[in-house]
Amino acid sequence: MPPINIAKLIKRRDFAPVLNRLVAALGASVIIEDHHGKLLLSTADAVRQTGYPVSVAGEIIGWVNGNEQAGAIAALLCHQAESEFEKRTLAAETLNKYKEITLLYEMVEQVTCCLDTKEIARLVIEQAKRVLELSSVAVLLLDKESGLMELVATHGQELDGTRSIRPGVGIAGSVWSSGRAEIVNDVPADPRAAGSARVSSLMCAPLKAKDQVVGVIKLGSAQPVNYSADDLKLFTTLASLAAVAIENASLYEQLQEAFYTTVYTLAETIEKRDPYTGNHTKRVMEYSLAIGRTMGLDQETMTRLQLGAVLHDVGKIGVRDAVLLKESALTDEEFEQIKRHAVYGEEMISGISRLRTAIPGVRQHHEKFDGRGYPDGLSGEQIDITARVISVADSYDAMTTDRPYRKGLTIDEAFAELRKHAGTQFDATVVDAFFASDVMEAYFIANSRKKILDTID
Amino acid sequence: MPKVLIVDDEPFIRLLLEQTLEELEDDGVELITADNGETALEIIRAEAPEMVFLDVMMPKMNGFDVCQAVKNDLGLSEVYIVLLTAKGQEFDKQKGIDVGADIYMTKPFNPDQVLAKTREILGMAP
Repeated sequence: MPPINIAKLIKRRDFAPVLNRLVAALGASVIIEDHHGKLLLSTADAVRQTGYPVSVAGEIIGWVNGNEQAGAIAALLCHQAESEFEKRTLAAETLNKYKEITLLYEMVEQVTCCLDTKEIARLVIEQAKRVLELSSVAVLLLDKESGLMELVATHGQELDGTRSIRPGVGIAGSVWSSGRAEIVNDVPADPRAAGSARVSSLMCAPLKAKDQVVGVIKLGSAQPVNYSADDLKLFTTLASLAAVAIENASLYEQLQEAFYTTVYTLAETIEKRDPYTGNHTKRVMEYSLAIGRTMGLDQETMTRLQLGAVLHDVGKIGVRDAVLLKESALTDEEFEQIKRHAVYGEEMISGISRLRTAIPGVRQHHEKFDGRGYPDGLSGEQIDITARVISVADSYDAMTTDRPYRKGLTIDEAFAELRKHAGTQFDATVVDAFFASDVMEAYFIANSRKKILDTID
Repeated sequence: MPKVLIVDDEPFIRLLLEQTLEELEDDGVELITADNGETALEIIRAEAPEMVFLDVMMPKMNGFDVCQAVKNDLGLSEVYIVLLTAKGQEFDKQKGIDVGADIYMTKPFNPDQVLAKTREILGMAP
């Protein structure tokens, strides 16, 4: 393919009229052909005399044949072709840069609002594929426990072999240690590749957050490629963007972790006070979640439900041992004290902004559907959906649990109790959902959990 | 021979769009450019291109007016019109719909998407 297509050139809307006028003005007799000799334009009386080549960038793209004036036409075409060639070259280069800019724009937009490290890794791979020549990409992130970089996302097969890397070992390992990006255009010749290379050329860049290397990203091509300094610059820019986003995501994860640990610890305190309740909190949570799923509650409500279920009895911390742990029947006055735990629970968690949504579940879990519960005597749908669910889960677990001073009901007896009080104590819809849920599965999940909240969200 | 018209008063954008769609020329697509709304309208009237990339913000006759004229006054509803708007620039989507534009695209545009969309509209293999 010639650098410029002469057929297209002479037909260009902005050039064809100029050419025609010039041919007419000069009284030129010309035959214009492309480099294969295909006729493109000919004046009426044209006779072949002398052939003048039209060339651009040292390559002949066509011929002008005819009288003396044909030479001038050929010169004009040469000039036009050269300037067209220059324009094309610049346009191609500009378009390349433009693609890089749009890539970075999109990358910033997507990555900065993403809080999931795997998703970020996947986005970086997608973007790299668009602008760099490659057949595979691998993103590895530092695993704080193993102290190794572990593979979190890949594209293509060639780099799959490395599931984890050690500092200083292999090309990626040395990029990790040095903290500097590298181009290796001839991988098999690199001693660090240790003969196991399945890629011919690769680039590898560290993912740095506050001068700490938290990961590496490498991309490679099965076919030899000459990666340039420009490619590396673009690649490291992508890597820096990804690193910032990954750091951001990991801070968010730590924050989540801290939050859930706090909630868990709060819930644990009451289990420690009253050891007979063993696993009660976990079971109430699992039953509640099972009911919520059956009812098709949305994600936001499910989160509130889970937090409310875990914390429903947290206010019991404010009830005296003599009352809380009493094994015989409670006096009216003692029962009044027990009843306060719903309000204490609200008071305790209301200071934590992220737990505010759980308040209705905690405060209202002893309300009854017919309005005869406590602390506020709410009825029907005045009672928050999370509290109506927790109430069924809590009552079922309390009924089926053995206490030192009484034997628990059998499952069938407990089911009968729930059915009997559906519509009065309980919301009948919730009771139906409970029966439609896999209660046994929820029971086993609860008992096999180590921490109350180890799989929240 | 299918025709694609590129209309923008900024030479830079015309150049980039032309370069983006350049490979279609090998498949017989003709790329035409215009640097203002009036010229664009004349070309559309005379040649009814399959597809038009039309900048919204242009002096004298803006993209909305051109689009309105093509789709309603000239009745050339089959001309596929892509309105070009700048990122951050206030764009009245309702007005875009009212004047009959087919889609709008924000600059900086994504060249890969532009090429894919053009192939789709011209009924060419991706």
